[in-house]
Amino acid sequence: AAPPPGEDAARKAAVGPFYLLRELPGTTELTGSTNLITHYNLEHAYNKFCGKKVKEKLSNFLPDLPGMIDLPGSHDSSSLRSLIEKPPICGSSFTPLTGAMLTGFRLHAGPLPEQCRLMHIQPPKKKNKHKHKQSRTQDPVPPETPSDSDHKKKKKKKEEDPERKRKKKEKKKKKNRHSPEHPGVGSSQASSSLR
Amino acid sequence: MAEKFDSLEEHLEKFVENIRQLGIIVSDFQPSSQTGLNQKLNFMVTGLQDIDKCRQQLHDISVPLEVFEYIDQGRNPQLYTKECLERALAKNEQVKGKIDTMKKFKSLLIQELTKVFPEDMAKYKAIRGEDPPT
Repeated sequence: AAPPPGEDAARKAAVGPFYLLRELPGTTELTGSTNLITHYNLEHAYNKFCGKKVKEKLSNFLPDLPGMIDLPGSHDSSSLRSLIEKPPICGSSFTPLTGAMLTGFRLHAGPLPEQCRLMHIQPPKKKNKHKHKQSRTQDPVPPETPSDSDHKKKKKKKEEDPERKRKKKEKKKKKNRHSPEHPGVGSSQASSSLR
Repeated sequence: MAEKFDSLEEHLEKFVENIRQLGIIVSDFQPSSQTGLNQKLNFMVTGLQDIDKCRQQLHDISVPLEVFEYIDQGRNPQLYTKECLERALAKNEQVKGKIDTMKKFKSLLIQELTKVFPEDMAKYKAIRGEDPPT
């Protein structure tokens, strides 16, 4: 059978019984066996980003930026993706506002309504990690301030906690009964690195 | 390289600060603040002009779209860089492992084939010459 086109050149190396022998592919200095981080001088960058813990929130990267920047962009239509997908149609020049145009910005005196006041408020920096379970969105005016509701909430929490603990214990007992041979909860980190 | 970013960063910071001050003026407006308000409105325009001028210096800068996903979720964009480096290293280790395993397999195979077909393997080694550089 005739070999497929293009393979004749590859089979020039065939000698003797080695009719399947082909020329070896070209060799390169840079392969996957090279440490590419070192090769591209990225050790400093690697240690900087992977050596230390990088904080999760956008406000940690831009601490001086005012406003609630840690909220998703979809909440207030401020996402960058929407800007790319639907770029605003505008002119190419920036002309200063004339006196006539500025008359449109004559404002009434007095404070803004509460709903508009949130624009420049930044959430206070939370130091205590255990407080993250409370509401994340900070309302400047709490809806209810009477002390009775707090007591009720605390009582409810106390009543629920022992019930939750009992349920958890029951679930654990059931799991242990039904699966004596299984190792139980598997490890979340799979060892995949080859060295 | 960093200087062109410094200029843009400075213009952006001034622009944002101007907007922030605008917000403060507007949140509890007094008639005497009208002049200041007008100045800040015009500074918005000039600020945008300055930012627009920075485009020429940065026309060759590319930003991966995935970073925007992080920013839109309110996450630190440095996490994207971190995850890129971690994925690159993991893939590097994986490929290195494959290469090392294939090399070991090759030498083992040649070794065993030489035991069974010594003459043919001698011819094979003569054809191949030296082993390709590892």
